[in-house]
Amino acid sequence: MSFKENILCANSHEYVLKNDEKNCTVGLTDYAIEQLGDIVFLELPEVGDEFAKGDTFANIESVKAASEIYMPVSGKITEVNTDLLSSPEALNEDCYENGWLVKIEHTKDDDEFNDLLSYSDYKEELE
Amino acid sequence: MVKQTYLHDKHIALGAKMVDFAGWHMPVQYTSIIEEHKTVRENAGLFDVSHMGEVFVCGKDATDFLNKLVPQDIAKLDYEKAVYCQLTKENGGIVDDLIIYKLGIERYLIICNASRVDEDINRIANLKNGFDVEIDNQSHNYSLLALQGPKAVDIMKKMGYDIQNQQSFTIKPAKIAGIKLLVSRTGYTGEDGFELLVENEKAQYLWDKILEQGQEFGIKPIGLGARDTLRLEAALHLYGNDLDEDTTPIEAGLSWSVPKDKVADYSGKEVITEQISRGVSKKLIGLEMLNRNIARHGYEVYFNGEKVGYVTSGCVSPSTGKNIALAYVNNNKEICTGSCVQVMIREKLHDALVVKRPFIQKRNRVK
Repeated sequence: MSFKENILCANSHEYVLKNDEKNCTVGLTDYAIEQLGDIVFLELPEVGDEFAKGDTFANIESVKAASEIYMPVSGKITEVNTDLLSSPEALNEDCYENGWLVKIEHTKDDDEFNDLLSYSDYKEELE
Repeated sequence: MVKQTYLHDKHIALGAKMVDFAGWHMPVQYTSIIEEHKTVRENAGLFDVSHMGEVFVCGKDATDFLNKLVPQDIAKLDYEKAVYCQLTKENGGIVDDLIIYKLGIERYLIICNASRVDEDINRIANLKNGFDVEIDNQSHNYSLLALQGPKAVDIMKKMGYDIQNQQSFTIKPAKIAGIKLLVSRTGYTGEDGFELLVENEKAQYLWDKILEQGQEFGIKPIGLGARDTLRLEAALHLYGNDLDEDTTPIEAGLSWSVPKDKVADYSGKEVITEQISRGVSKKLIGLEMLNRNIARHGYEVYFNGEKVGYVTSGCVSPSTGKNIALAYVNNNKEICTGSCVQVMIREKLHDALVVKRPFIQKRNRVK
């Protein structure tokens, strides 16, 4: 199964991938990246920072505009994709395998995943 | 209803990402803003700027009438010459910025911003009392194509156009690819280039022809996204961002477009003359961020811990990779080229250097 087939997406275009019971990978969907265009700036949180579902945890800027990135589920940051900070334009190539933003430890219960969509449902909703 | 230019189908066929801009459905990018930007700086780009307004002003008093509307001295404008100017209010504030072209004896063309056509027409019509002049808004009948970049000249030559006797800021009637049009050597990119004013029905044919003939010179269609980064690198003002009704040409750093010796009266002359002799309370500066953060429209500017102004335009400069911005600040002598200010970005202050404008070497003035 590919990365994309396992992710769950928020309407605000973030995805979360469950790695095991507690640990998840969080990023932005390719649709979001395409809409933003050339990515030129990324600001990510620090390991240990905690956020509730819906909180702004990162900021991204394309040539045209600045956008906030929201937590798809509540969690504590366990790892940050620091490579992206020096070359945010890499997101235009890959926002999944190499282009994830943070890894988190999910801190609330699994109900938080209920309103997220599978990638195919998410794409369908965009049509 | 959102309007479409006569080239709308072309943009869709080219796979452009479309946005609503000033009431028009326009291409913001075809591939990538950065790529398109570099194409214009290195080769040539073709823009659809048909959303812009075209207003013809003719009649016995046309010169005197226009001279009343803008600080530039229209009486000194020669036949087939163009001049950049501002439509000013009584308080010196800017209603719009324009290029006025002299097409003939008492015959002028005004090209104005899409977002301001209605305001401009209102203002012009309201002031026309007592002048023998006819104002003809032809915006809906004309398309405007901009061919910009160092290879623009080669493409025009290849299309059989004799650029030999056409300097910057001049306009000439011409025939290209069998089409009658007006060719102006102007633009909004800081590069040499041409703007082609053509009847709507001929726009698609001309668009295709230029892209075809320009292929060997690396021409690409360019969207409004790159138009914005190109103009900002060249520190050309954008109405609504860097210019508005509460800002005078002097405050906007446009003194060069306000002749000191103009005899005729014009709207705002008193305020503007006073500002020239006594100085202004705010001024436009160029900024270069000292980290990767980008200053955007509306962000606050600080100096020595005090709020002194706000950013009006900002982006990453695709040519230099630096983050550049235009900002208005209090006219404090200590805030000058080389001084360090701070921009409030997401509740944190980030250092920025005050730098000279433009941010790049402009190459648009050709004799």
